[in-house]
Amino acid sequence: MKVSIIGCGTMGITYAKNLASMEEADLAGVCDVDAARAEEAAAAGGTNAYSDYKAMLEAENPDVVCVCLPTYLHKRIVIELARLGKHIICEKPIGMTLEDADAMIEACRQYGVRLFVGHVVRFFPNYADAAGQVARGETGGPGVAHFKRYGSYPRGNGLWYHDRSKSGGVILDLMIHDIDFVRSVYGEADTVYAAKAQSGGEDPFEYALVTIRFRNGAIGHLAAYWGYPGPFTTAAEIAGSQGVLRLDSATSRSLVVTSRDEGREGKAAVQVPQSPMRHDPYYRELKHFLECVRDGSEPVVTAEDARAALEIALAAERSCQTGQPVAIGGNRP
Amino acid sequence: MKDKLKVGMISFAHMHAASYLQALLARKDVDLVGIADENRERVRPFTERYGLAYYEDAGKLLAADVDAVVICSENVRHAPLTVQAARAGKHVLCEKPLGITEAQMQEMIEACRANGVQLMTAFPCRYLASVIEAKAAVDRGDIGRIVAIKGTNRGTMPGGWFVDRSLSGGGAVLDHTVHVMDLMNWFLNSEAEEVFAFAATLFHSVPIDDAGIVHVKFRNGVIASLDPSWSRPAAFPTWGDVTMELIGTKGSLFVDAFAQKNEIYNNERMKPSWSYWGDSMDDRLIDAFVMALREGRDVPVTGEDGFRSARVALAAYASAELGKPVRLADVEADRR
Repeated sequence: MKVSIIGCGTMGITYAKNLASMEEADLAGVCDVDAARAEEAAAAGGTNAYSDYKAMLEAENPDVVCVCLPTYLHKRIVIELARLGKHIICEKPIGMTLEDADAMIEACRQYGVRLFVGHVVRFFPNYADAAGQVARGETGGPGVAHFKRYGSYPRGNGLWYHDRSKSGGVILDLMIHDIDFVRSVYGEADTVYAAKAQSGGEDPFEYALVTIRFRNGAIGHLAAYWGYPGPFTTAAEIAGSQGVLRLDSATSRSLVVTSRDEGREGKAAVQVPQSPMRHDPYYRELKHFLECVRDGSEPVVTAEDARAALEIALAAERSCQTGQPVAIGGNRP
Repeated sequence: MKDKLKVGMISFAHMHAASYLQALLARKDVDLVGIADENRERVRPFTERYGLAYYEDAGKLLAADVDAVVICSENVRHAPLTVQAARAGKHVLCEKPLGITEAQMQEMIEACRANGVQLMTAFPCRYLASVIEAKAAVDRGDIGRIVAIKGTNRGTMPGGWFVDRSLSGGGAVLDHTVHVMDLMNWFLNSEAEEVFAFAATLFHSVPIDDAGIVHVKFRNGVIASLDPSWSRPAAFPTWGDVTMELIGTKGSLFVDAFAQKNEIYNNERMKPSWSYWGDSMDDRLIDAFVMALREGRDVPVTGEDGFRSARVALAAYASAELGKPVRLADVEADRR
């Protein structure tokens, strides 16, 4: 199966490396308006670099196209790819608005192509295990769950994350991982309340606290942080009537390397999660989506799930603005 | 300075009484006058072991030669007992939550003021070493200006009168909002202005709330949230936690107040357990109360502090009922 990539930022390069190592996929071209980025991804994936996606689609004729562009560009390109009959793997969040998401889903249905959205947390083995444990009843009935996702302020090409109209901010871009995950555990949301603290300028940060009440009674409490000075950290605690499940990236490091060389350049190297596995979660995600294309099966996370997560994220943003709880998926006041 | 303080204890309904008793008995500057409790059996192990006088009626203890009393009754009795003690001219250390209505707490504060006695709310978490260090770091500006706080005071369902609304006045949200709320008030030197909360019964078959999330907006603009749920299962290695994550303009700070523990894996217990080896917070709380009274200084954690914190829990219930945020009146401004 021939797979091309549009957008060669951090995610595009991650996709390129994983697809290049996957037997099921033939990486067929990578594209970025920034030719240097395209060259970097092409080198990482052993494929051709393009700076014009139309030229790439023409020359490579892929079966599947991965969309790793800034969020505000998803809608236009996904609809165009659908028209061209390409199956699509699109980075999260699905889009900036529910109208965009609906238009994307409808176009893919209309042109008979598959649309997958990269809610990769479903493919993180610690989260996948947690979902399985809860589904098996290890924690009992619904209770109170906490989720945490802290990282540095992302510095995308042209600082597009800094522009709320392009990224949507920390809730839409980062917390949406946990929103999707907690929804996969507890089902449909009833009400969302949220508050945010943020600052722009030289040293920006954005911190959000969101509480979701689910229709099954469960309470999900989520914290997300752009501008955290420490290493990227995720943690969750799911408490139910029969037990508690906890996971924490900070305490499940299976490898710790400490070198006397560290700091010789005057500054410690970038810290990376020290929990090595044979394949990273993106590999699992891409492999799963390609299998779904091949055999027509339903993915573990659908485009409709991505839309539902976006709906909750947008409701949380609205709650931050109005200071009021926001009802989900209904016409209740 | 007073050489000795004569202290009586009123009610052992709340289990913290036993710990306060130990802290009082360990002091050379305290004469423990006796224990009043209508339930003789509840306090017999203590009166007999330490040879303490027993009073069936709190009024009799208050009529004795006592400087101060420690009240660890059921929540609904905090107010009548405190008012009674104040009228008898005794200083009061009252278990949290200070009271179960705003009016009641105001009455307690006013009765103590009118009778020239001090009222201290038992918030021992202020005396945790990690909390003291965190406060110092915040005051030094190590993380810049605080913009958000996320706290937890998750615990085990205590049962007994705690789940009987006629005695407790509320469940987990009242029981476990107040400690960390007090820390937030103290760290921020501000007060809650608006509260939004969910409260529910999710973990246990009890006729009262055992779960919730409380969101708070402070007058100085800081946002906060707090999990007061009785969500620790019987299988959990300890009773619960007190944590606080502070987000500042220059960084963040995390307090896990009971992280100072050893892990134990024992075949007979068949579950892991945590043995806390950090400093006792109750000793320091009692020390603060006793020393303030001996030296004639103001107690460091007041009735007003108890009021400021408990009213957030009460507002949380009102919000959960309404499904909307609840604004808190600026009572302090009225007083000023």
